[in-house]
Amino acid sequence: MDKSSSHRLLPLKRNWWLKHRFFKLYMLREATVLPLVFFILCLLAGMVALLQGAESWQGWVDFMGSPIVLVLNLLALAASLFHAATFFVLFPRVMPLRIAGHSLPDQAIVAGQWAGVVAVALLFFWLLGRA
Amino acid sequence: MNKHKPQHELQHKQAFDEPLWWGLFSAGGVCFAVLLPAVILFIAVLLPLGLLPANALNYERASALLFSVPGFLFVGAVICLPLFHAAHRLRHGLFDISVGSDALNKKLMYGGAALLSVFALGLVIAGMLS
Repeated sequence: MDKSSSHRLLPLKRNWWLKHRFFKLYMLREATVLPLVFFILCLLAGMVALLQGAESWQGWVDFMGSPIVLVLNLLALAASLFHAATFFVLFPRVMPLRIAGHSLPDQAIVAGQWAGVVAVALLFFWLLGRA
Repeated sequence: MNKHKPQHELQHKQAFDEPLWWGLFSAGGVCFAVLLPAVILFIAVLLPLGLLPANALNYERASALLFSVPGFLFVGAVICLPLFHAAHRLRHGLFDISVGSDALNKKLMYGGAALLSVFALGLVIAGMLS
C-alpha cells in the first residue's frame, strides 16, 4: 500500500464490530480468554494455597465453591468449549491431512479433535473420579 | 499482518518476533481447546461442589500430583501456554477496539504472561523442593 492511499483510509470507529453478526462472533471468540484468565488466576491461587499447607488448601476449595466464583468458572468452561468449536474447524484449513493419497474429510479431522477432548476428560475421570 | 505498525516503520523494521507470538498463540489454543474443558470441569466445578471422591484431591493427593514432573508439564500446558494464547488475543482485541498503543499493550500482555508463567513453574519447583 503506498502512502497516498493510506491517507485516504478513515480510522475505524471503536464499535465497527457491532455492525455485523460475523464480527460480533469474532469479538465474542476474542473475549473467551477473559474467563480463561480468571480461571488461570484461580489455579495460581490454588497452587499458592497448596504450598502453604492443608488448611490453606481447604480454604481455597471453599473459595472455589462460592457462588460468584463457581458461575465465572462455569462461564470459563462454556468459553473453552466455544473456543474449541471455533478452533477445531481451523485445523483442516491450515493443515489438510492426506492419507495414502486421499485427503481426509474436514469433518473427520474436527471429530478427531473432539475425541481428544473426550479422551482428556476420561483421563481425568480415571485419575480423580474413582473412590 | 503488519496492521499494528505505522506505515513509516514498516519499510525499515521487520517483525522478527511475530512468528514466536503466533506459535505460542497456536500451541496455547490447542491446550485451551483440548485440555481446559476437562481441567475446568474437574477442578473448578466438580471439586468445589463435592462431587469428587473425598480423597481424590485432598491436600496430600493434590500435593503429590502437582509437585512432580508430570505436575510441571501440567502447569506448562494448562497455565503457561494458555496465558500466551490469552495475551495474544487480548493484545489484538485491544487493537480492534482502539484501546492503548499496540507497542505498550504488546509489552504488557506478553510480559504479564511470561511473569505469571515463571511464577507458576517456580511454585511447582518450590513444592518439589520442600
